[in-house]
Amino acid sequence: MRIFRNLKQALRGVALNKGNTFLMTLGIIVGIGSLTVIVAIGEGTKAKVLDRIANLGFGPDSFSVYAGSGRLFFRSGGRTTSLTLEDVDDIRALPTVRLVIPRQRKRMRIIYKKEFTTTRVYGVTPEWQIARNWDITDGIFFSDRHMERKRRVIVLGSTPAKKLFGDKDPIDKMIRVGNVFFRVIGLLEEKGLTESGYDPDDRSLIPLTTSMSRLTHQTYLHSAKVMVMNPSLVENTMEDIRQILRENHNLSPLADDDFRYVTPEGIMQWVTESAQAMNRMLILISTVSLLVGGIVIMNILLVSIRERVHEIGIRRCFGARRSDITQQFLFESVFVSLLGGILGTLIGLTLSIIFQRFDILPTKITWEPFALAFVFSTVIGLVFGIQPARKAAMLSPEEALR
Amino acid sequence: MSLIELRSISKTYKSAGLDVEVLKDISLRIEEGEYVSIIGPSGAGKSTLMTIMGCLGLPTKGTYILDGEEVERVSDRELSRIRNEKIGFVFQAFHLLPGVKAIDNVMMPLLYSRKVPKDARQRAEAVLDKIGLGHRMTHTPGQLSGGEQQRVTIARSLINNPKIILADEPTGNLDSKNGVEIMKTFDRLNREEGTTIILITHDREVARHAKRILTIKDGEIESDQWNENFQKSQTGPARSGAE
Repeated sequence: MRIFRNLKQALRGVALNKGNTFLMTLGIIVGIGSLTVIVAIGEGTKAKVLDRIANLGFGPDSFSVYAGSGRLFFRSGGRTTSLTLEDVDDIRALPTVRLVIPRQRKRMRIIYKKEFTTTRVYGVTPEWQIARNWDITDGIFFSDRHMERKRRVIVLGSTPAKKLFGDKDPIDKMIRVGNVFFRVIGLLEEKGLTESGYDPDDRSLIPLTTSMSRLTHQTYLHSAKVMVMNPSLVENTMEDIRQILRENHNLSPLADDDFRYVTPEGIMQWVTESAQAMNRMLILISTVSLLVGGIVIMNILLVSIRERVHEIGIRRCFGARRSDITQQFLFESVFVSLLGGILGTLIGLTLSIIFQRFDILPTKITWEPFALAFVFSTVIGLVFGIQPARKAAMLSPEEALR
Repeated sequence: MSLIELRSISKTYKSAGLDVEVLKDISLRIEEGEYVSIIGPSGAGKSTLMTIMGCLGLPTKGTYILDGEEVERVSDRELSRIRNEKIGFVFQAFHLLPGVKAIDNVMMPLLYSRKVPKDARQRAEAVLDKIGLGHRMTHTPGQLSGGEQQRVTIARSLINNPKIILADEPTGNLDSKNGVEIMKTFDRLNREEGTTIILITHDREVARHAKRILTIKDGEIESDQWNENFQKSQTGPARSGAE
């Protein structure tokens, strides 16, 4: 086949003009290399966030309602004194709801003798342990009786426990939370840092009633976690709760919600959106560098055609058609571009692995960059090669040999 | 029917807005198996005549019939095929592909034939052997002397068994010894294989190798005569090929 003969001539040309070939591949190497790294970082970040979400304790059947308007963990102003125990009771009354765990939260200093540390103190109901499915390694979790009597008991996470007690047994010791003394009755099982560096063990739990009367001195809730009967009910239940809360809070139809939902999907969506915004910018940058790479190929090819006018003339003298010359130079440009793409992918891959190994950035290697590199570099080779190739072919053999 | 027939060929180049008539109404026939020298001072139009006879460019006016085909009527594709099958070029500046082995240079025209013969390599080897370069097949042009390079170009021009060899100052870049060798090769090709050879030169000594000498001056044929010394030059002692 004539086309294969021209391909072979093109490969020979690439091999013979090593200097030019190297220069031509540079731009593509940079472009494809950065694209590979960007995709790897994007995938790595996503994986990290997924890990984080998994550690938030959401199952597919649960979500949270937070006081105050806004989105996810970000309150956009408005009252935070909107969510009450009455709201929680109304939610609990919904037939689709399995469990509701109302929650107060305050960051407090806790003190034992001369040791102290700051931790997140949550006021929750005993169902919390069921909902989170979190084991107690020592002692007990507080009960409904503790709740009713507003007992000053506390269950410590492993991080504050270690800070206050070291290796000693904390059970039945009295610690001070703010100005109030609490008896340690239990110790949460240690989960350890997540891959992304979040410490789920940095928390302590007290009965919600005690929290209201002793710590926060108010009955408003920080949030409530809702578990429904099965995952397919999540959306409908969220809508039902919205109606109940808007009615309970006397919101006019035009007013914004004074509460917000946190769902794993919501977090995921937010992460994806912010990652996309960043990705879009980075992809723009690498597209520009690929474009520059293409222009570099085109220019060097044009110069190289000027250098190789004789070669073109000789080939034409001995029977090469215009189409043969076009094919030869087009193959050269596609091959050079592909070569750049392959080298770029390899370099990008190496960088991604280094980033991961030395904890610089989270990366994850997927097959997409390979396909992208292949398609992109072929297209660039074709688009930026066609003009020089046609120019070479249009040289008249008579002029080319002069 | 003549192998080459030029009917009132004119060629005009545009140069700085001026029309320069390089060839003026040239008519000429060359039969198969002839050995023709075209001689004339530089600027006389020899090279232009060669580009037209070699199907590298088209005349401004007139008709060129090569082996029964009217050249200005055919497409670039056809023209390429004609060059590939019927004409072998030998240039003063050799024009070999740089960095490419002698044998691959010789095989290059086969790349552009309709079908690459299965015995392409053997054929190239045989041709190189015939011109005495069998031992240099894998050398690149840079590793060969001028005389050797010119012999590679002759091998290349022969690979497709063309009817015509068009040689433009083939000895111009060679010393006299190598020049003589090259001319002997042409003489032998014409004598033994019956290949039509058209030799363009400004050197009378070189021109004398041919049976017929055409003199061109100012774009016109000044004289067209048989070479009376032809037999002598074929049998006589080696002559100096260049000055």
